[in-house]
Amino acid sequence: MNLYNIIFYLFAAITLVSAFFVVTTRNVIYSAFNLLLTFFGVAGIYVLLGADFLAVVQIIVYVGGILILLLFGVMLTNKIVNVQIRTGATQILPATIAVGAFSGILISLLVNTEWKKVGTALPGASTTANLGMLMMNEYILIFELLGILLLVALIGAATIARK
Amino acid sequence: MELKYLFNSLPYIKPELILAASLVIIVVADLIITKKKELLHYIALAGIIAAGYFVLEQFSMNAFAFSSSGNKGMLTVDSMGAFFKGLVLTASFFVFLFSFSSNEINESRSKLGEYYALLFGMILGMFFMISASDLILVYVSMELVSLSSYVLAGITKQSLRNSEASLKYLIYGAVSSGIMLFGISLIFGITGSTNLYEINYILRSPETNRVILLLAGLLVFTGIGYKISAAPFHFWTPDVYEGAPITITAFLSVASKSAGFVLLIRFIKVAFIQNSLNGYWQLLPAVDWKTILLVLSILTMTLGNFAALWQDNLKRMLAYSSIAHAGYMLAAMAVLSNQGLIAILIYFAIYLFMNLGAFFVVMLISNKIGSEEIDNFDGLGYASPFLGVSFAIFLVSLTGLPPTAGFIGKLYIFIALVDAKMFLLSVIMVLNSVVSLYYYMRVLKHLFLRKAEGAPIELKVSFPNAVVLLMLVIPVLVLGLYFTPLVEFAKNSISVLGF
Repeated sequence: MNLYNIIFYLFAAITLVSAFFVVTTRNVIYSAFNLLLTFFGVAGIYVLLGADFLAVVQIIVYVGGILILLLFGVMLTNKIVNVQIRTGATQILPATIAVGAFSGILISLLVNTEWKKVGTALPGASTTANLGMLMMNEYILIFELLGILLLVALIGAATIARK
Repeated sequence: MELKYLFNSLPYIKPELILAASLVIIVVADLIITKKKELLHYIALAGIIAAGYFVLEQFSMNAFAFSSSGNKGMLTVDSMGAFFKGLVLTASFFVFLFSFSSNEINESRSKLGEYYALLFGMILGMFFMISASDLILVYVSMELVSLSSYVLAGITKQSLRNSEASLKYLIYGAVSSGIMLFGISLIFGITGSTNLYEINYILRSPETNRVILLLAGLLVFTGIGYKISAAPFHFWTPDVYEGAPITITAFLSVASKSAGFVLLIRFIKVAFIQNSLNGYWQLLPAVDWKTILLVLSILTMTLGNFAALWQDNLKRMLAYSSIAHAGYMLAAMAVLSNQGLIAILIYFAIYLFMNLGAFFVVMLISNKIGSEEIDNFDGLGYASPFLGVSFAIFLVSLTGLPPTAGFIGKLYIFIALVDAKMFLLSVIMVLNSVVSLYYYMRVLKHLFLRKAEGAPIELKVSFPNAVVLLMLVIPVLVLGLYFTPLVEFAKNSISVLGF
């Protein structure tokens, strides 16, 4: 096991464990803080895969933006902190069987499948310039469509917030 | 990709450009117009008509757009896409006309700008869903449709059920699109491409792993099945259809469903079909879509019809009936032939008129009595014979009895099934139609054979509404008797690019 693998498993463990706590804690604040760790772990995995731009964006947008907003939302609505959120489990036996079977299938498939390997070497230089070129050339349509998607999301959010 | 390709692609997305421009115009107009918000209705209608003009152009087109340096493109413009774009626009046209007189919409008039802006966002998303041949575009356009419809389902916020509809739609939608995205990532993992045509090329090689493809295909189908409300992904349908404003319910039941179906057709036909033999599509050995679609269609139609039997709320009943209709169309899809595709096109064109018509009548009546419960409709057939008789025509057509258009739609699906020697499925479909007769006729019983309690209600249909209703009734009757033009039109519109 080399250093690369150790770091990978470290970040993967951070992601998984914190994600587990996000769903199971009864306190919203703890959930939010655990979510922070989850996003951080994912960002670490991005770095290991050589996706530097994506990792930074993950930190800036998710950890820095969305999560802080979420925490503010929780703290400003003081009633939420005290509300007991139902995290109890119903139908625990069928759910366990279904989830177990599904994860079994997934794991066996992940191990046995011949995945297509495209460009396995880590990119030496920064990927930002290439990403920009791709977005403004090949994926220009999707880039523009995402702009409209964000506009619609903004209008939608304003509509919901308004009385 | 050079700039030249970009410029060459622009003429292919004229309708989409018009729709995007309409969205922006409506947002701006909403800011400028402070008093006469009614003007927004007309601006929206003008946008639809302008887009429709450019869709007509596309019937003769057959090309890729936004291709990266000569590769297969991100967008396909073909006659099947044009047919469904026309369908979506017709549905939007009628829904916009409904919006003029819907109480629910008029009561939240201050939100009219947002209402239309979101509707245009949704139509734009559907257009890209219809012509997308790249999985990233598929996902983004589906999100655009979903995001707008989540908000639209709860836009009036008058009642609790409205917000409930919105929230339920959001939760189910988020889960199913997450699952779909996972499926897309698996497909990318095996093939290294997101383009449906390239995926097809790669899947032709014999050494592809079939099990993981089956899983990935099913996961992607979850997202599509959610959009077309096929069982077992239909759980949101009754609650959302009941809670959303009725114009949005009508729009979801026709337009959203048709966009989902095109996506399904394109996904299967482009990525998983080897070649076409005498009009029958030969599947690649990768995934046995025929069996999957067969089972799901039986499940969907049976579940939809049997659940509809117990519904006392008309919107809820029509929701289950729309699930059943999705089942019939999935049956035509399961044939995997040109004949089946023609049947789907014919069925959708007819379903548009009869389903929108049924929702329109329910809207007009509930505008007056403020309820959609079947018991409150007692004796209303006599209060306005015009409404009563048109409702009867729509319901008979939804059942699939002659001489209405619904019969022709079912007939063509039946022919496609029998041609492919799928007798079991055709028998199940006929039995299902018999079951559906019960709950459609139950509404008529309440309308005509029950005496109304209390003071008689006066139902007057205003002149514009009568014209809209006639625009829906006449096609249902005419297409039931003189359907050759529609069939010819459908036959000419089944070309999917690349085959």
